[in-house]
Amino acid sequence: MDDTPKSLTSLPTTKVARAARFAKTGLNVGANYVKHYAKRAVGADSPTEDLHAANAAELYGTLSEMKGSVLKVAQMLAMEKNLLPTAYADQFAQAQYQTPPLSGPLVVKTFREAFGKSPFEVFDEFDIEARQAASIGQVHAARKDGRALAVKVQYPGVADSIRSDIRLVKPIALRVLGLDEATVRPYMQEVETRLLEETDYALELRRGQHIAATSAGLAHLQFAQYYPELSAARILTMDWLPGQHLKEFLATNPGQQVRNQLGQALWDFYMFQLNELRQVHADPHPGNFLLTATDGGTVGVLDFGCVKEVPADVHHLFTALLAPETLIDPARLTQLLTQAGVLRPDDPVARRAFYVDTMRASLELVGRPFRQPSFDFGDPAYIQSLYALGDDLMQQPELRQQREPRGSEHFIYLNRTYVGLYALLTELRASIRTNPAE
Amino acid sequence: MKQQPTPAPEAAFSPKERIKQAYLDYVLRKGKPPISVFKLTQKLGLPEQEFYASYANFDAIDREIWADFGREARATAAREPVWEQYGAREKLLGYYYTLIEILKHNRSYALQSLRRSLSKMPGITPRVLDDFRQDFEAFVEDLLREGRRTEEVASRQLVQHGYPRFFWQQQLFVLGFFAKDDTVNFERTDAAIEKAVTLSFDLVGRNTLDSAADFVRFLVRR
Repeated sequence: MDDTPKSLTSLPTTKVARAARFAKTGLNVGANYVKHYAKRAVGADSPTEDLHAANAAELYGTLSEMKGSVLKVAQMLAMEKNLLPTAYADQFAQAQYQTPPLSGPLVVKTFREAFGKSPFEVFDEFDIEARQAASIGQVHAARKDGRALAVKVQYPGVADSIRSDIRLVKPIALRVLGLDEATVRPYMQEVETRLLEETDYALELRRGQHIAATSAGLAHLQFAQYYPELSAARILTMDWLPGQHLKEFLATNPGQQVRNQLGQALWDFYMFQLNELRQVHADPHPGNFLLTATDGGTVGVLDFGCVKEVPADVHHLFTALLAPETLIDPARLTQLLTQAGVLRPDDPVARRAFYVDTMRASLELVGRPFRQPSFDFGDPAYIQSLYALGDDLMQQPELRQQREPRGSEHFIYLNRTYVGLYALLTELRASIRTNPAE
Repeated sequence: MKQQPTPAPEAAFSPKERIKQAYLDYVLRKGKPPISVFKLTQKLGLPEQEFYASYANFDAIDREIWADFGREARATAAREPVWEQYGAREKLLGYYYTLIEILKHNRSYALQSLRRSLSKMPGITPRVLDDFRQDFEAFVEDLLREGRRTEEVASRQLVQHGYPRFFWQQQLFVLGFFAKDDTVNFERTDAAIEKAVTLSFDLVGRNTLDSAADFVRFLVRR
C-alpha cells in the first residue's frame, strides 16, 4: 500500500487534476461571496443597496448551481440592465465568463457518439481542457491540417431541460426581483424560444455561414468559417479567431483611433444586419466579440446561436419610431404606438397621455445617436441616463401596477440588442459616425 | 445496432460462448429465461452436461454477462489516448460513460434485466450484479489509491475502507437512473453521472469535514 502522499507529487500532477482543483477553488470563492453578503444583510441597518447585493449573491449562487440554461437566463438578465437594479446586474455579469467545465470523459464521449471516434482521432491536436465556457457548452482548442480551430461542445440534455429550468427559475426571479408574472411572461417566452434555438447547432451553423457570407463586404470585421463535416448535433467546429475579449483588450490601453474603428465596425455591422439582412445577431454581450488591433482595429464575431429575425412590419415600425420627425409630432407618435400595441384603444385618456409621455422620453434618449451625424459613446453620462431612465420607469407607480405586458415582444428583443450594443460602445469609449446610410 | 456483448474472438465458438449467446438470444426474443436447461441445450444440439460444465444455472449466465459488461467498459475506457492523463475522478467518469455506451448497445437485455432486479429496495444489490460488483470495487479501490497519491482523495484511516461500498451505491444509482431514463439518447443519465461523480469526489476529497475533525482532535488532546 502506498497511501501516503509522495512529497514531490503532492502537487496535482496532471493537467486534468489541476483543472479539478481550480474548479473546487472557484466553488469556495463563490460560497464566501454568499457568506460575506449575508453578513452584511443582517447588519444593524441594512440599506436597500446591501439587501439587493445579498439577494443577488444568493440568487446567483442558486442559479449557477442549476447551471446550463438557467445560466443563460442569468446572462440575459445581466444584459437587460434596464430590468435590474445595479447590484443584480453586477452579480449576474459574473455569469458571462464563469461556468464549471464539462469533464474530459464527457467531452470524449460526446465525440464518440457523434463521429464514432475520440476527439484525438478526429483532430490532429485537441486540448481536453476547455478554453472558455459558452453557457450551454464550452470551447476547446483544436488543430487539423494546420488550421487552428475552435470546437464548441454542448452540455448533454440541455434542450430537454430548458423548459423545466425556466419553470424553476421563474418563481425565484419573480420573488427576488419583485416582478409581476404578466410583465415577464412574454419575455420568458422569448427567452425560451431563443434558448431552444441556441441548442440547435445545425441552425447556428447555417446562420453563421449566411451572415458571414452576406456581411463579407463590411470593413474591419472577421468571421469564423464553419466546418459542417466536423460538426454534429452537439459539436460545432469553426476557425479559431485571434483576439481578446473586451475587458482584456481594454487593459492593453488601445488608442482612441483603434477604439473608434472597432466601435464603427460594430455599429456598421448592426445597422447592416437590421436594415439589409433583417436578421440580427441578438447576443451582443462582451463574450461574443474578439478584438484585435490588427489593421487599426478588427472585430471578430462569434456565436450565432441567438439570431433574431426581424419581420418587415416590425422593422418599419422600429425605424419610424426612431425617426426625428416622430418625436415632434405627437399625433404620429400616438398612431405608431397604437400600431405597436403599447397603446390600446380602450385606454383611459390620462393613461394614454402618460404612456405617450414616457415613450417619448425614452425614444428621445434611445434614438439620440441616430439623430446626429456622429455620436461619442465615450461620454458616460449618456449610458447612465439610459440606465437611470430604466430605474425611473421601474419606480413609476403606473408602470409597476401595470398588470399586462405591452408592446410587441419583438421589441423586447431589439431593445436588448441595442442596450447591449450601446453598452459595448460605451465601454470602448468609441466615437462613431452614426448617420443612417440612407 | 448489435444486441450482444462482443465476445472475445478466440473464445467465440467454445461451447460456453455458444450457450451464453443462445441464452441471450432467448431472453431477448422471449423476454424471460428459458424454462429449463434441457430446452436450451436441445436447441443447441449439445448434451445437457455441457451446460453444467460451464454454468450452475441460468442466473450464473446473467452474472457473467454483467461482469462482461464491466470488464469491457474498463478495457475500452482505458484504450482512450488521454486515459493516462486523467485523474481518478476523470477515470471513474470515463468508465461510467463507457459502461452506459455498452449498455446502450445491449439496451434490451440491460433494461430488462435491470428493471426486473432493481425494482424492490433501493440500495440492495441484486444477485445478478454480484460478480460485476466485485470487479467494480477492486477497480474503485485502485482508483482511490491513485487518488490518495495525487491528493484528490483525502486519507481518512477510520472510514476509507468503506469507500468502495459507497461508490458501489453510486454505481447502483447510475444503473437505476439509466433504467428509468426516458430522455432521448439517455442524455439525463450523462448529466446524472457528471453530477454524482463530482459530488462524490468533493466528499472524499479534503474538505470542511477534515478540518473539523482535525480541530476536534486538537481540542480533545489538550
